[in-house]
Amino acid sequence: MIREERQFTVDLAVIGSGLAGFAASIFAINRGIRTAQIGNTGAVAYTTGYLDLFGRLAADQLLDDPWRGLRQLAASQPQHPLARVTEAEVRAAFDEFVAFLTEAGVPYGQAGERNVMALTPAGTIKPTLCVPSTMQGGVDALAARARCLIVDFRGLRGFSARQVVANLRQEWPQLRAEQLVFPGMEHGELYPEVMARSLEVPACREELAARIRDVLGDADVVGLPAILGMHHPHLVMAEMERLIGRPLFEIPTMPPAVPGIRLREMFEQVFPTRGLTLIPQQKVDAVRFADEAVRLSLADSYGPIAISAQTVILATGRFLSGGLLASFDGISEPLIGLPVTQPPSREGWFREQYMDKEGHPVHTAGIVTDADFRPLSAEGGPYDRRLFAAGLILAHQDWIRGRCGAGIALASAFRAVDAVGRELARSGGQSGKHQSAEGRRDV
Amino acid sequence: MSEATIPTINFRERAIELLPEGASFEACLTCGLCSSGCPASGLANMDPRKFIRMAMLGMDEELSTTPWVWLCTQCKRCQHVCPMNIDISQLVFYARGNWPDEKKPSGIVRSCQLARSTDSTSAMGLPPQDFVFVVEDVLGEVREQQPAFAELQAPMDKEGAYFFVNQNSREPMSEPDEMVPLWKIFHLVGADWTYSSTGWAAENFCMFSGDEAAWYEVVKKRVDAVNKLGCAVWLNTECGHSYYTMWHGIQRFGLEANFRLENLVSCYARWIREGKLPVNADWNRDGIRFTVQDPCQIIRKAYGDALAEDMRFVVRKLVGDENFIDMQPNRSANYCCGGGGGFLQAGMTDQRRLYGRRKFDQIQATGAAYVLTPCHNCHSQMEDIGHHYGGNYRVIHFWTLICLSLGILGENERTYLGPDLAGIGL
Repeated sequence: MIREERQFTVDLAVIGSGLAGFAASIFAINRGIRTAQIGNTGAVAYTTGYLDLFGRLAADQLLDDPWRGLRQLAASQPQHPLARVTEAEVRAAFDEFVAFLTEAGVPYGQAGERNVMALTPAGTIKPTLCVPSTMQGGVDALAARARCLIVDFRGLRGFSARQVVANLRQEWPQLRAEQLVFPGMEHGELYPEVMARSLEVPACREELAARIRDVLGDADVVGLPAILGMHHPHLVMAEMERLIGRPLFEIPTMPPAVPGIRLREMFEQVFPTRGLTLIPQQKVDAVRFADEAVRLSLADSYGPIAISAQTVILATGRFLSGGLLASFDGISEPLIGLPVTQPPSREGWFREQYMDKEGHPVHTAGIVTDADFRPLSAEGGPYDRRLFAAGLILAHQDWIRGRCGAGIALASAFRAVDAVGRELARSGGQSGKHQSAEGRRDV
Repeated sequence: MSEATIPTINFRERAIELLPEGASFEACLTCGLCSSGCPASGLANMDPRKFIRMAMLGMDEELSTTPWVWLCTQCKRCQHVCPMNIDISQLVFYARGNWPDEKKPSGIVRSCQLARSTDSTSAMGLPPQDFVFVVEDVLGEVREQQPAFAELQAPMDKEGAYFFVNQNSREPMSEPDEMVPLWKIFHLVGADWTYSSTGWAAENFCMFSGDEAAWYEVVKKRVDAVNKLGCAVWLNTECGHSYYTMWHGIQRFGLEANFRLENLVSCYARWIREGKLPVNADWNRDGIRFTVQDPCQIIRKAYGDALAEDMRFVVRKLVGDENFIDMQPNRSANYCCGGGGGFLQAGMTDQRRLYGRRKFDQIQATGAAYVLTPCHNCHSQMEDIGHHYGGNYRVIHFWTLICLSLGILGENERTYLGPDLAGIGL
């Protein structure tokens, strides 16, 4: 069969489709940089939807003021990625990212001066910086200890209204739980994704609203698992609020959850309309640093693809996403073979207690970079001046314990894209205006 | 019922063979994105995650006999959303092939047998001479009754033609007038094309029956027919699985095919861009809304989003930007309608409609009056679930709307149009 390779020529190739990769693409789009993004289904599908900047400086020290926390971090952990960017950059990164999401149909609240306390699927609370607008009501209701009804659904695993109430009742006495049967889903296991899509149908909204009205009681506000539509959720929520006659809010559920699928599908639909070449669901097979360009090769179900890029941002994440690979003799970076900072031997990876509040040394392994987030070679200089890294692949951070995953992703992507812009200007590689990548396809 | 028993497959072994390089089932988080995104989840008390976990646990007997393998349409959406890129549909293919023929859904087996019964490769068993007769007969009628098309051509076995065009059997068998709009489009753009009297059909249920040898036999016959006529391009009609079985079959079986494969949608888009098909949306004065269904077999499983974009380009030109509304999710992430994988032929109507409920909801959410799709199975399934669940939309082929827009749609070529459109341009 006669077939040809598809070729794309771009200024920037973003490898990875987690939060850092998507953020890098947004910043690049906004700066008119011709970009291609490639990445397997990323961990973004597992997010709660909350964007944490910095929530925990040390064990048992939850942060109310993340900005003050960042200043303390700069003093105590100067190698931490968030200690290597300015406060102005962090603020600009959050503002630009959130503005893009909002404009693209998944509205978010703006980053403020303080962390907000937000509800988790288990009915615990955590500090975070930005929440989707459909979840803001939960933050407010918790803060006001409002008369509130939490609803769950028979057959929906991973979210229990009774559990939420049991965990919060002590400090939130006017909290009450009810279980309903979701319209048209009377039997079997329910998935939030399926429920969310059903609620995009007006008839389903009306039926569910009627069932919620029946159990409203004296509640002033109603909390639901995150199921209020997959696309334009604020519109679905507004319609449900009108039908029920009370304000609503969403609480994240356990994966596979709606907030991440919302973001992923939005990016997949919006990016191509903004001139970005998105190749989702695929991993890059090889990266070659030639003199005139960086050459990426990969294949999708249709056949081989070659991307020729002036610069590259590596945002491939940690172990789950394949950015780092753990083996018996150490941790490696499998795509390019970058040096990985890590404990000297495997014995040093973990502390004795699994739940140790200090975390485990293996979680701070990663790629070391210069100030512009260029990965360093074993000799200490930039591996290649066209290569940058962003997100959780970066060393010297433990994002889960620090509640700082989005902060690292957004801030490092912001600085890296800024540096990409400077590199393109220096090499004369940037087209200077917004245009889509050229693709050639044939059978 | 026959006494044949279903042999047991070692699914764990087969699954491990299918893993991409460097991947491992140990990294599966059992996150459930596959099941969450699968319309067949819950049918026969099974879902993709459960299938993989049972394979890993060695529950081969249960997996070898679960009827779920006939309710999964092998649409590959599970793999599409899986961070591990696990190909569950291939395991389902093995499982299907492992069932004795007499236990398989008889409709799928029969369609495959019929395709092998004549040189047409038609799943409805239409022999070559009958196909040739119907084409000539319909062509004669059009030339006679539609003066603007007195010179219309429908070449048969024309050696060296640029396009070898296949034909879904449904048209020559039961609605021959539906062949005409496409002939008119070819006429208008001046395409050098031909039908073939052998290997012309656009169905291949042998893949869905899991019968690799039969799949090969049908594809081989088609490849031979194209090679024999020396055509540059095998042009696939508005059909999903006929493309996939040919495209994937040629690679899978290492067949020598001296031609390229193209899809009619890409041609429509190209001809519109080149000005050869001067379609417009002026006819849509009442702002009738349209949506589009992405056939899994040509979008997610083959071309990817590039073809999905072409399809949307064509629709927007045809109906007007403001009258096109995408279903959600869409493109490569769209759901299978539930008509694929041989489901429509399998006789399991209740389950097929349960599966199709999600497609019905998607269509309802758009509020569209018409769904366009370049796939006959999608077409039939969406019509059926529309009737069953009380939808008020209609499903139409692209060729109908293209000819309607161009003012060349004949009176007998309007079967699928509703009263709002049936009279336009007559």
